Amino acid sequence: MTAVTPTYAVKDYKSDLKPIWCPGCGDFSVLSSLTKAFAELQRAPETCAVVSGIGCSSRIPAYTNVYGFHGVHGRSLTAAAGLKLARPDLTVVVTGGDGDGFSIGGNHFLHACRRNVDMTYIVMDNQVYGMTKGQASPTTAPDWCSSKLTPEGTGISAIQPLQLALACGANFVARGFSGDPNHVAKLIVEAVNHPGFSFLQILSPCVTFRTEQRGWKDVVQKDKIAAATSNVAEALAILAEDDGVATGILYAGKRAPFQPNNKASSDLDRIERKFVA
Amino acid sequence: MNQFDAASFLAHALAFETEAAERYDDLADTMETHNNAEVAELFRRMANFSRMHADAVKGRAAGTELPHFKPWEFQWKDAEGPEVAPVERTHYLMTPYHCLQLALHNERRGRDFYREVSAANTDAEVKRLADQMAEEEQDHVLVLEAWLARTPEPQPDWDQDLDPPTVAD
Repeated sequence: MTAVTPTYAVKDYKSDLKPIWCPGCGDFSVLSSLTKAFAELQRAPETCAVVSGIGCSSRIPAYTNVYGFHGVHGRSLTAAAGLKLARPDLTVVVTGGDGDGFSIGGNHFLHACRRNVDMTYIVMDNQVYGMTKGQASPTTAPDWCSSKLTPEGTGISAIQPLQLALACGANFVARGFSGDPNHVAKLIVEAVNHPGFSFLQILSPCVTFRTEQRGWKDVVQKDKIAAATSNVAEALAILAEDDGVATGILYAGKRAPFQPNNKASSDLDRIERKFVA
Repeated sequence: MNQFDAASFLAHALAFETEAAERYDDLADTMETHNNAEVAELFRRMANFSRMHADAVKGRAAGTELPHFKPWEFQWKDAEGPEVAPVERTHYLMTPYHCLQLALHNERRGRDFYREVSAANTDAEVKRLADQMAEEEQDHVLVLEAWLARTPEPQPDWDQDLDPPTVAD
């Protein structure tokens, strides 16, 4: 609590566009958490950028009043890394879904964790491709059989995003639940303030294609994995007992971010002249 | 529930009334997007009521410097402020009856919040304010109960969509 009146309010980070998500979608709450987090961070809107790929949750840049880039499917992390390396002064947040992040962009996720550029990646995980009408995603359980594409389930083990992030070197790893937007706002603030690549898995129900996820609010256990350890082995041991619905900051590492101090070898005029010649 | 001073208590009241208005507006927007005009209109009215309540809190707080709380520092019993409509309790086919049920649920939670503050706090000014505001919330509860009583209940199959979105094949 502080008596200081903040310069920027939550509304300063919201755009005039109205979300088109289904009523009840968890992504509404994540959007609310993100704008609340920006307001708490008190960073001027023009010093922040939200980058995304493709999918329902990837629409978030349009709904925020900061710089935004709604890019190519699965390639949000590459665009965001380029932006952060070119403009280290910006606060870069990447948003997307489980399909965009772990399937189409799966390889980029591994290397973003490894590279450790100072940015925050928020994955709204609903264990389904919602925008394309409900197919199994990389985080879908192998026995989920509600899609006509996989009437007997995929039979394939689901990706474990937190384990993957830890194994690949992410410097901050946490899980939240969209049904607790103030807690998610806190996780985002902590993630942005932590140097290096921060990964947040946010359980965000798809109320249209995974209606049973409305029940997550009854089973999520707040701060059950809140070890905030800097020891990867310890964090992995906690995840060995994880049921997938425990939230909190699991890991906060100490690796220095990747930020080469390169000097420009050319300028825009020279590059432009080359194209004209 | 912790002890409040009057400024902290008013900061809580203002936060949840303001957030309640914003949430109702968001829900109205999304219902408009999904062509549920009747419910959109109702949510818009609820947003206006919440804004009036927020203005009333501002009036009570005139001349007092309210502290700033981080979103996760507020002492809510649940994940969000007591009158902030939970997003997951909405549906694109919901009816005015459901909307009023949701608003009633929120007003009852608001009333209970003030009653609990009054019961748990020793500060005379906080108790006075909380009692007054609990009484106002109880009035809102009665209005909504009467409104709900004259609103037709939804058909049992209200959420059946003849053109459902689940068409994955």
